[in-house]
Amino acid sequence: MSRHQAAITSDSEGSAARFHPAESHVEHAQNRPTATRPPHRARYGPERRTAYRDRRTGAREGGAVLRHVMRKAVGWLAMIVVATNATYVLASWFLDPRSNYLGTRPIRTEAEIDRALAPYNLDPRVPLVDRWWHWLRDVVLHFDWGKSPVGAPVNDEIGFRVLVSGQLVTAATLLSVLLGVALSVSTASRQYGWWDRFTQLVSVFLFNVPTAVAALGVVLVGIWLNQSLGLRFLYVAGEKSPTVEGLLPTLADRLQHLILPTLSLTLLGYVGYHLTQRTLLLDAIDSDYVRTARATGLTRAQAIRRHALRASLIPTATSLAFGIPAVFTGAVVTETVFGWNGMGQYFTQTIAKNDVHGAVAVAAFGAAMTAIGAVLADIAVVVLDPRVRVN
Amino acid sequence: MTTSVIPSAARPAAGSGRLYLRRFARNRGALLGVALFALLVLFSAFGGLFSPYAPTDADFTALTQPPGAAHYFGTNQGGNDVYAQAVHGLQRSLVIAVSVSALTIVLAALIGAGAAYLGGRVEKLTLAVIHFLLVVPSFLILALVSHRLAGDWRVLIVVLTVFGWMTTARVVWSLSTSLRERDYVLAAEFMGVRPWRIVVRHIIPNLGSLLVVNLTLGVVATVLSETALSFLGFGVQTPDVSLGTMLADGSGTITSAPWLFVFPAGLVVLLTVSMTLVGDGLRDALDPTSVSAASGGAR
Repeated sequence: MSRHQAAITSDSEGSAARFHPAESHVEHAQNRPTATRPPHRARYGPERRTAYRDRRTGAREGGAVLRHVMRKAVGWLAMIVVATNATYVLASWFLDPRSNYLGTRPIRTEAEIDRALAPYNLDPRVPLVDRWWHWLRDVVLHFDWGKSPVGAPVNDEIGFRVLVSGQLVTAATLLSVLLGVALSVSTASRQYGWWDRFTQLVSVFLFNVPTAVAALGVVLVGIWLNQSLGLRFLYVAGEKSPTVEGLLPTLADRLQHLILPTLSLTLLGYVGYHLTQRTLLLDAIDSDYVRTARATGLTRAQAIRRHALRASLIPTATSLAFGIPAVFTGAVVTETVFGWNGMGQYFTQTIAKNDVHGAVAVAAFGAAMTAIGAVLADIAVVVLDPRVRVN
Repeated sequence: MTTSVIPSAARPAAGSGRLYLRRFARNRGALLGVALFALLVLFSAFGGLFSPYAPTDADFTALTQPPGAAHYFGTNQGGNDVYAQAVHGLQRSLVIAVSVSALTIVLAALIGAGAAYLGGRVEKLTLAVIHFLLVVPSFLILALVSHRLAGDWRVLIVVLTVFGWMTTARVVWSLSTSLRERDYVLAAEFMGVRPWRIVVRHIIPNLGSLLVVNLTLGVVATVLSETALSFLGFGVQTPDVSLGTMLADGSGTITSAPWLFVFPAGLVVLLTVSMTLVGDGLRDALDPTSVSAASGGAR
């Protein structure tokens, strides 16, 4: 899936930032008369890089980048608003809060059930538009995301769950990108070497493993490791132990719980980055500008790292935004397997319990994560792509 | 990459099918994939003949039995024969995956190529819808909708199709925008061929290789999302069985009764790996210039 995503995003995101073929001051700097140029290799290395750096971080540019990002963020905010409201309508259609009261004793009549739901803004007799307006007002004015069908406030659940899921998703995303890119760089310079073949075999295999299977496999390995070492080092359930106190023990405890689910998410997440990045890097290595870089005296490894990698990272950066929902989806299953009380598990609970407001809050969180990923990807493109100008 | 599948003018005209077949047959990984997939299809169709049990039969004299002579794959906590369930579950997952993937490709080709050819407002609107659906946490909406409607696997097919066509449609659209400028399309236009006929007869066939490859990879993607949905309890529901529900059943007892988990997990992975190998072989056969993302290990 990630492979396709890279394919689609790579051609679309060019329009995200403006493209100025005519360069300004930097081109002049490089077109000085030959006589005044410093010696061959020295000229190439530091001076050129300084030029890049000036263009990237100059104060004027910085402000423009900020404005550009702000503009994009506003667009994404609109997208979040639309997505969240659409989910509200869908959730109200497809979830039936009444069913929560059907099994209660003494048996209630339908009217009684509706009356019980009324204080939570879930009364089916009230028109959907009115319920939606009520809900929207509470969210906008008080940041109150409503109550579950049995009256538990959604805000209480969201608060700590966002942190729980956030650390899982963030750690897994960062590790996936790092691992994927690092593997692609280490294999691309020796295509079809044993290391290239081996890592590819592993990646293609992992690409095909469902999240549930991978997570349970990691659980099995964790249990086996614990048993063979005779320790309880890796925890396979929950995000923390109930009885740990003190700062350092708490940190260690959290880490012990974090390792296995993060490992599981990373194993599935890095594959897309590795396979796309490898293909892009192999394309880039054959390109003219890398040959030019080699001709200026850079070693093959230097040319790959400084030139080929930089250019080929751009599509990967744009696919990062669309990769985050996949991490989130993976996190739903992973949280279920590892018993983490995060947004993913909350999501399955809200749907199983017909909790309209809870499900909508999760959707809003998912949309927000996508938006954050997209904005990060935009920044990365501006930093990486020398052709992209923002003003 | 799939984007490089734009057919060139020097495409072999006559006997191209045989050429593709020969290229495909040269790829050992692809042949292995075809063989595996054929075996799985045969197993799902006729595997039930080798066992006297039906997937819903409960043998109360053998609860949570390990694999043995009577129950090849053992039994679960309810006394169901895991072998019979695996055969049935594989069949369910296969039928869902193949039909969703086929429907998705048809939908994506028509929408993507149609939008690109018709252009104007239609194109803008279609792209907006695609972009929106890509951004919305679609898995959440998928779960929301299928929780209410599913239980019936046929509904699951519809739901997965409705939320699965966007990515391919986006790729088809971006390739079709260059195809619509081709001479043969203009020629057809001047001859008075109607727009939809041009889309179906002239644009879509030229994306054939991309569509075929995406068809096989779509099977993989569908198996993965069906498994995830069923695992969470939003897809296929009891008493019906799919590989995803079997994984969910086995997940609680992976140390005490690993056979409940190992057999469905193995079948899922075999299914997706075989389809990936086939898809990759097809990509290499149809477009020898492509740098295939996944074939290095299979060569």
